[in-house]
Amino acid sequence: MDMVSGSRLERLLRQGEFVVCGEMSPPQGADKASILKKCDYFRGYVDAVNLTDNQTAIVRMSSVMSSVFVIEGGCEPVMQMTCRDRNRLAQQSDLLGAYAAGVRNVLCLTGDYQSFGNHADAKGVFDLDSVQLIRTVADMNAGKFMSGDEIKPPPAFFIGGAANPFAEPLDLRIIRLAKKIACGAHFIQTQPVFDWPRFEKWMSLVRDEGLDQQVFILVGVMPVRSVKALTYMRDEVPGMSIADEYIKRMESAKDPKEEGVAICVETMKRLRETPGVKGIHIMPVMWESITPRLVEEAGLLPRPQPIAIEEPAEPEPAEPAAPPS
Amino acid sequence: MSKFSEKIAAFTERHPTLYRGVVLGENIFKKAIFGCQDCGQCVLSYNAFVCCMRCPKQMRNGPCGGTRPDGHCEVYPNRRCIWWLINKRAKWLGRQAKLRKYHIPVDRRLEHTSAWMNMFAGRILPLDLSKELHEVELPKREPPPRR
Repeated sequence: MDMVSGSRLERLLRQGEFVVCGEMSPPQGADKASILKKCDYFRGYVDAVNLTDNQTAIVRMSSVMSSVFVIEGGCEPVMQMTCRDRNRLAQQSDLLGAYAAGVRNVLCLTGDYQSFGNHADAKGVFDLDSVQLIRTVADMNAGKFMSGDEIKPPPAFFIGGAANPFAEPLDLRIIRLAKKIACGAHFIQTQPVFDWPRFEKWMSLVRDEGLDQQVFILVGVMPVRSVKALTYMRDEVPGMSIADEYIKRMESAKDPKEEGVAICVETMKRLRETPGVKGIHIMPVMWESITPRLVEEAGLLPRPQPIAIEEPAEPEPAEPAAPPS
Repeated sequence: MSKFSEKIAAFTERHPTLYRGVVLGENIFKKAIFGCQDCGQCVLSYNAFVCCMRCPKQMRNGPCGGTRPDGHCEVYPNRRCIWWLINKRAKWLGRQAKLRKYHIPVDRRLEHTSAWMNMFAGRILPLDLSKELHEVELPKREPPPRR
């Protein structure tokens, strides 16, 4: 595959490096400073940072603007975009704006249903689904809006999709992953691993279909601070699978925080040895400050530098709009 | 579809009362049997005859990540996940190959119109009773006349 966006994440993946992504929740307030402060936890420790788009349907600063602030903070953003809050017009216009502001990686998601969040009375849009959104971004890369009209100049996004190895039905998960790849996804990020037998089953199916050769798979890990977090995920977060072994370990631990870190580091080390896994996606929900320690203890420091490539020629400036006649 | 079916569709769409009758008949039939949501661009034959538009997120290309371990929906815990049902019935009917079809975004102009007439007019994917997946040329997307 040829280089698409030239983003740091893409270059490292194509160089064959084992990449590490972080994740940041934008603030629930008009607060740019907190984003810049959180960038300190990621700069130099991870290769890119995901910016969530109103995750669990709770209103936060927009992922587009947060991504722009993260660039200012010296990190590379992976902008998440859901289909819950925008129709196809808004999605395409946000993508154009984000690209112009320097965002190069986009993760296309369907989005949590609005009834889980703090605006349960809202109308969910779901004009597209995530597979169709991936196709839309791929078409935009190729210079076409969904309408078929030409984009001048077109964006060049590194396109991501999500996969959940832990939800039922397993065979449809593989079909859906194959659809996302066929529609133009370049990388895949998964839900956090707390159930190894299930994950390995999924991974072997992915390898059997040869999908790991067509897309970069970054597998999720999550540091937890208490046993409550694990049981909450098991009972309240649909589509998550938590092995009892981890719950027992967290229950019996003297210091649950340390145990959570230990579990996470163990998972990261094991993922590095798993064939077909090209990187790790750390999801420290509201615990961003732990990221440097996790990366260090997993032996993933220092982070590699991408080999410099020739800058693609600057796109020609757009022609000024004709004055209305 | 054929020239003949296009003529039927054109004729029906020229006669508002007839068209309303067709929509009514189609609704009675499809709502009762399939829980039709009236999207006007039926993909039942690709989804083992389970309507995917009953999904709260209207997922047309497979399940979201929230299907519960018992196969229930994340939004309505006492309902089955539609895609879990589709998968189960596709296995039963031997139509799993059909699930690999990529479905283009819903054309919102076709909502609440007759999917049968849209099919006859060649606007949407034709009913495909075979079990294999065939590449179908994407249909033209001109909506029926507005009234």
